[in-house]
Amino acid sequence: MSLLSLLRSAIDALLHRARVENDTEEELRCHVQNRADDLERPGLTRAEAERRARIEFGGHEKYKEECREERGGFWLETVWTDMRYGLRMLAKSPGFTTVAILTLALGIGVNTTLFTAFDSLALKPLPVKDPDNIVRFERWFASGATGDMQHAFSYPEYLYYRDHHHAFSDVIAASWPTQVLATLPAESVGEWSAPPEPQPIECQLVSASYFSVLGINAVVGRVFGAEENQVPGTNPVVVLSHSFWLRQFNSDSQISGTTLEVNGTAFTIIGVAPPDFIGTGNPPRVPDFWAPIATQAQLIPRSDWLHEPTSRRLQLLGRIAPGSSHNQAQAETSVLTRQFAQAHPAPDTRSWDAETIAVTLEPATYFGETDELWFHAFVAGLMAVVGLVLLVACVNLANMSLARAANRQKEIGTRLALGASRGRLIRQLMTESVLLAMLGGLGGLLFSLWATKLAWLGLTRLVQALMGGGISIAAMTPDFRVFLYTFGLSLLTGVLFGLWPALQSSKADVTRSLKAEGSAFGQPLNRSRFRSFLVGGQVAVSMVLLISSGLLLRAMVRSQAARPGFETKKVFLLSLDLGSDKAKARVMKRQVINRLETLPEVADVALTDRLPYLGTMTFSLRVEGSQAPRKSLPGQTLVNYVSPSYFSTLGIPIVRGRDFSPQEAEALLPVVIVSESTARHAWPGEDPVGKHLKLAQPFRDRGGWKEYEVVGVAKDVRFFNLTRIDPEYTYLPTNVSQSNSVLIRAARSPRDTIARVRTSLGSLDKSLLPKLGFVSLDHFMQTQELLPQAAAIFAGILALLALALAAVGIYGVMAYLVTQRTREVGIRLAFGACTNDVLRLIVRQGMLPVGIGAACGLAVSTAISGLLRAILIFPGSYDLLFGVSAFDPTTYVGLTAILTSIALLACYMPTRRAMRVDPILALRYE
Amino acid sequence: MTSQAQILPGTLDLLILKAVSLGPLHGYGVLLRIEQISGGALLVEQGALYPALFRLVRQGLLKASWGTSENNRRAKFYELTSAGRKRLQQEADGWNRLAAAIATALNTRPEEV
Repeated sequence: MSLLSLLRSAIDALLHRARVENDTEEELRCHVQNRADDLERPGLTRAEAERRARIEFGGHEKYKEECREERGGFWLETVWTDMRYGLRMLAKSPGFTTVAILTLALGIGVNTTLFTAFDSLALKPLPVKDPDNIVRFERWFASGATGDMQHAFSYPEYLYYRDHHHAFSDVIAASWPTQVLATLPAESVGEWSAPPEPQPIECQLVSASYFSVLGINAVVGRVFGAEENQVPGTNPVVVLSHSFWLRQFNSDSQISGTTLEVNGTAFTIIGVAPPDFIGTGNPPRVPDFWAPIATQAQLIPRSDWLHEPTSRRLQLLGRIAPGSSHNQAQAETSVLTRQFAQAHPAPDTRSWDAETIAVTLEPATYFGETDELWFHAFVAGLMAVVGLVLLVACVNLANMSLARAANRQKEIGTRLALGASRGRLIRQLMTESVLLAMLGGLGGLLFSLWATKLAWLGLTRLVQALMGGGISIAAMTPDFRVFLYTFGLSLLTGVLFGLWPALQSSKADVTRSLKAEGSAFGQPLNRSRFRSFLVGGQVAVSMVLLISSGLLLRAMVRSQAARPGFETKKVFLLSLDLGSDKAKARVMKRQVINRLETLPEVADVALTDRLPYLGTMTFSLRVEGSQAPRKSLPGQTLVNYVSPSYFSTLGIPIVRGRDFSPQEAEALLPVVIVSESTARHAWPGEDPVGKHLKLAQPFRDRGGWKEYEVVGVAKDVRFFNLTRIDPEYTYLPTNVSQSNSVLIRAARSPRDTIARVRTSLGSLDKSLLPKLGFVSLDHFMQTQELLPQAAAIFAGILALLALALAAVGIYGVMAYLVTQRTREVGIRLAFGACTNDVLRLIVRQGMLPVGIGAACGLAVSTAISGLLRAILIFPGSYDLLFGVSAFDPTTYVGLTAILTSIALLACYMPTRRAMRVDPILALRYE
Repeated sequence: MTSQAQILPGTLDLLILKAVSLGPLHGYGVLLRIEQISGGALLVEQGALYPALFRLVRQGLLKASWGTSENNRRAKFYELTSAGRKRLQQEADGWNRLAAAIATALNTRPEEV
């Protein structure tokens, strides 16, 4: 009953505000009239009676306000009134409002941009029909191995899941993009067109139901039908990607039915996928065309995916059937996985991928590592950095609001005197700041729309450079999560910068604030001290941001000059598909290498297990026979398996001892070559050749130590990591029988060499050609230079923002303080103080918090640098600083100087202006 | 007018409820009625009456309607609701218990201890 009546009166109050207000007024007036009637009788005049009645009644407005408060719906009503009042106040000081909104828009905008990116990459589901019930299959190995291979399944596995699953309406499969050779329509140059040459393009093999299950329709023609995957080898049809269609076929709308020759087989083009479909890959990568898995034999001639249960080449997605739950699907998947494993035991039980312990169903987002810890740590780190910028903005506004509140002391005093309660006043001041924050949030949202586009472009370029072309990033558009985030952030911001000034100013002493506007001498000390504290904090935060970006900037400069220590331009990685039959592949590989060695265009051929900058392999190390104290010896080493010609191919000199002999490589004898650093750390001052060391692999032969003899020392390189010399690096011999990558060194121009190798290998076996590829080591190196660039640009933008905000903040506070002290300045000048002395006095007082803040910022930066260094540095880890010391004195001193001079300028300018005031005028000020 | 007492905080609501329970009244009438039934001993701050009246209406203890006063002015009349009657009963009982207890305590003589 009481709740209902409360609600009713609230609604009543809102709807009939004016009437209720009039009623109250009338009721109170009626009271006074009645009282006056009673008082009039003893012979007073009517006017005198009314006067007395009014005095007896007490504070008319005060009681009216109290009545308003007692009425229901008061809260809602005052919010509305406060908002209108707040808007009027903001409109009255456009300068403050503009600066505040811009400051907030920048601070919130940067945060929103980052969140939009995070949202699009990690939170948003695939852009397909009903994405919520699409799940991705993820495998977990007994060996604990993680990465891309967790998403890889074989075709027989796929069929098993598809045919036995009841909780899914369908299961679909898609391969990773793979290279094929296609004969594309020649670019006709006048009448003379060159005969079309087969070109490498990328295709993706998908199950027939792929598009229909995802609800993707073709923009031209049709997508695959159910019949397309029935009989292997028949129905060679393809669906083109939108960008490929645009690029190679000029958006020809009559394309359906024409043929495309791929690996010598004529495929019929049946349709074109829509432009916003960027595939379901993890990470997403758009191929040039899609083909049914049934055509695998034509597209990937040396493999037989359809019949090999261990050939794991497909990513699986399932659509949970209506009426089934995720748990049901998961339980069924676990049963099916066990059954399949029992029916198809792994051929090599010692291999890392032999035992599957579980297959889980994960949400189908892009960038599958998003649920991993490092990703969260990375995002949290970025959020913290961007949050710092917003913090600076908040501090700025708190400071400006404090200054403004001091100016509004008279207004606030009047309100308190007229009977406004303190809570009411705080609520009103808070409404103003939240309103301001909301406007800023709106600006931030607009800013982020623009900034997200920029970030998307940058990120796409970065990702494509790191992971190869064709990779695309889902368009970053704000969704409800982004709006919610921005709203929440704005609200928080408003409260954060509004609360303290509101609490402070509503505490005002009524009499004093009414008598004299906060004069210089009447200024409460603690408030100005708090303001100094805010300035100091702001400077400290800017300092931290500045120093980190300064270090990253220096690292970027250094990365341009970093040399790997081996040849990169002339050395190419040969990508080969030798088929899945291991014995046949070995024979083929030997033939390929023999053939390459006869070519005059190829200076050298080498085998290597590791490729530069693509992951590390670390073994435990035990140094034998060293004079050095046991504690100083390295316990770990980076490892690579290489063929004897490796050092000559990459141009790494052997500085002591000798290279591996072909016999050692063939027999895989226990000999090693170590890097100079390793030799220096393990056997300082001794000859390492002939010494022994023991190695143990972390995964295989658990803990089994094997002894090796050092036969040579190779010059130091930056192989695993361009940022610094590999600290410990041990080379072990290998031969063709192991699974290794083939490197060639071009003797002629790369172009000629590649052409010659292609024709030569084609004549050896035609089926090698479709997947034959050449990647220069230079490409691997460029990716290493990109990261510091991206990091430096990102940090630089943030630091500039923070610096600009801090400068505005210091300037604003100083300008205000100086205005407050105009009278004091006038007195000092009138008593004969020298302008310069007064100037120095005020600037010194202004600079004190700046100095303290800068010192704190330096201390925090040093602490953070030290902490990061302790956590992030391990053998082979990527050093974003490129060897620049985390405590680089040039950076620290230089940036402190820059920050201090900017602060000095921000202090000096308003003070200088105040000094020009005529002392007489200043004294007459009030 | 000499022996007038300021009313205790919290008792104003009780007095208003009692005054209105004797018959519907407008605001000024409530004031006069309180003076009358307290024998002129209690002083009500006139303005403070109205916030209290609004509060009681919001709590559903009183209901208000516009009418015409004895001297032909438009006035808002308050009357007790059933919830208000119940509340008055409770509050009056509580007050009486408290007053009796305090009176007993104050009348205690040394020899009774």
